[in-house]
Amino acid sequence: MKISFLIHNAYGIGGTITTTFNLAGALTERHDVEVVSVLRHREHPNLTPHPDVRLRALVDLRREKDHPLHRRPARVFPSAEYRHHQYSELTDQRIAEYLEGTDADVVIGTRPGLNVHLALQAPQRVVRVGQEHLTLDNHSPALRTALRRAYRRLDVLTTVTEADAGAYRRKMRLPGVRVEALPNSVPDPVLPAADGSAKIVIAAGRLVPVKRYDLIVEAFSQVVAEYPDWQLRIYGKGEEQDRLRAQIETLGLWNNVFLMGSASPMEAEWVKGSIGATASDFEPFGMTIVEAMRCGLPVVSTDCPYGPGEIIKDGEDGRLVPVGDSRAFGAALLELIRDDERRRRMGTAAVEHARRFAPGPVVAQAERLFEEAVAARNSGRRGGPGRAGTSHALISRGHAARDLAHAAASGALRTVRKGRR
Amino acid sequence: MSTAPTTEVRTDCSADTDGRITFRLRLPSADRPRLLLVLRPKKGRPEEQSYTLDLETCGEHGHVRAVLEPRPALAEGRWDAYLLRAPDAARERLRPGLRDLRPLVDGGTRAWTSPVTVRVPYATKDGFLALRAWRRTAHVEAGPVDIADGAMTVRARLHGAELAEDAAVRLRLRGGGGTERSYRPHPAGGGAFSFTVDCGELAAAAAGSRVWDAFLRPAADAPPVRIGRLFDDVADRKGVYVYPRVTVGGAAVRPYYTVDNDLAVEVTAAG
Repeated sequence: MKISFLIHNAYGIGGTITTTFNLAGALTERHDVEVVSVLRHREHPNLTPHPDVRLRALVDLRREKDHPLHRRPARVFPSAEYRHHQYSELTDQRIAEYLEGTDADVVIGTRPGLNVHLALQAPQRVVRVGQEHLTLDNHSPALRTALRRAYRRLDVLTTVTEADAGAYRRKMRLPGVRVEALPNSVPDPVLPAADGSAKIVIAAGRLVPVKRYDLIVEAFSQVVAEYPDWQLRIYGKGEEQDRLRAQIETLGLWNNVFLMGSASPMEAEWVKGSIGATASDFEPFGMTIVEAMRCGLPVVSTDCPYGPGEIIKDGEDGRLVPVGDSRAFGAALLELIRDDERRRRMGTAAVEHARRFAPGPVVAQAERLFEEAVAARNSGRRGGPGRAGTSHALISRGHAARDLAHAAASGALRTVRKGRR
Repeated sequence: MSTAPTTEVRTDCSADTDGRITFRLRLPSADRPRLLLVLRPKKGRPEEQSYTLDLETCGEHGHVRAVLEPRPALAEGRWDAYLLRAPDAARERLRPGLRDLRPLVDGGTRAWTSPVTVRVPYATKDGFLALRAWRRTAHVEAGPVDIADGAMTVRARLHGAELAEDAAVRLRLRGGGGTERSYRPHPAGGGAFSFTVDCGELAAAAAGSRVWDAFLRPAADAPPVRIGRLFDDVADRKGVYVYPRVTVGGAAVRPYYTVDNDLAVEVTAAG
């Protein structure tokens, strides 16, 4: 097959880029694969794709950021999409040209706005696969309304969790569209796994409010009170850095909690720890949880929507605690710190259980999905087996009406506010 | 900084507790390749010290490796890593791959003998592979720093020398022509001790914004030994181990680690 990925900006850093490069690279073994980046702002990508993946860009911001069409707001890319402000008539035009001219068998969109382009503009012969790396419930009513109209024209819609796939099937009426969970994959680790002996807890990710590093720091004061020789290392950079630093000072944790800055690759850092920690309020998948587990760390995580609960088996290879509860989080950390034997056992289980997120099984699933969709399209059907049926029509209609009402109300509110300015 | 070309091959390395560093990279076609370590000279000075290691074939797929043995001890400083593909080839700067430094993490729990030598492979800010090296006759490893009631108490341990009855901790005023403050260490056994600095008194000892570097004299007639923190995997401690400020009178006093991971105390005049 000839497979083309359409991505916002392949030259930056982020989970979607990592997972797209991982999947694209693995697919090159049997297929012809390209990654098409709508935007480009630098010569070399931050993350290096597999050498057999062809990478090209549609709009080069280094030369074209002042293009007259780039100053006019996008019309095809939905206005309710998170990144609408970065899209324009120029991106509308270039994406349309790319889709019209593509000779790919399968085109894969990697965010809602690009999935809309794909749904509306891809030629008949092309299989349209939309990928959702966020979750339906987190989208605004206006965006949900826009997606509800467009996504009917996709062949396949993939989410990163079963829970989110369930939400799409329940709340959107997408007849003929195959909706399936396709988790992110994490490459096989190179280093021997952690042995559980180090007195270090590790957290990693962008330092942004939704990740709730403050909760981990707060919880860690319980740990230090009982085990002053344990440390917490937080890897990453971001807007929360100063606030976390101040919190560490206020709680008197400067001998135990460290803001390590960003590290790449993280693998060599994970293996220095014995427990991983994530405390997000919201986590569509939870790539770092899988990374830590593949390195032999049991992970203590909040049971937030949706990723952690589908990755961690509570009590077997990690712990799930209620969202926003630092006492519970600290207690779960202490459970694993007190019991060396249990921690080691759970670390071993983590390695075994997280193998299902290895590129092998995930790529095989993606390949099967794409092949069946191609076969279905060639035979005049769409999607293939397991399509969203019509039995949920009534329920999804209710959700559609509610989203429309919300979207209309917030649209009206915006108009009123604009009028006042 | 060097303008040598860069190889995009990533070099993995691993460290042992005794200081041995093993470098591994994939190099399918090379003629007697070597790995070159060059001590980064002070700005504007020529390179003077370098160390060359043979890269030997190991396993399959063109993997090669070089081993930097614990001895000889490398001179203190930052050593940049280069690849020499062939005897007469130009050097290429190496990019770091996976650095497995697990054995270094709990170095503070072990007893070290003289000379104290430490090596930590790290990635430079511009993304190249380098090695930090320390070589000291004796060393005082700082541990937890407690800050309360306008005073700071540092727990530390002397390695490579004996702690005598008449030992003394000295804070030396940087650029202060030998001005020092002296503090009594409280021994805790096995070379471990603690000392307490009254922040108000230190702020009053010299006018304006000043930096005091921390030393220990293990005995009255012994040379001063630097107090620092070297025994783990953290190559650059300054931005990671950050202590709070103590505000006393018109000054803010804060212990910190220098760019060489040595302990110092900064006094900042308010206003």
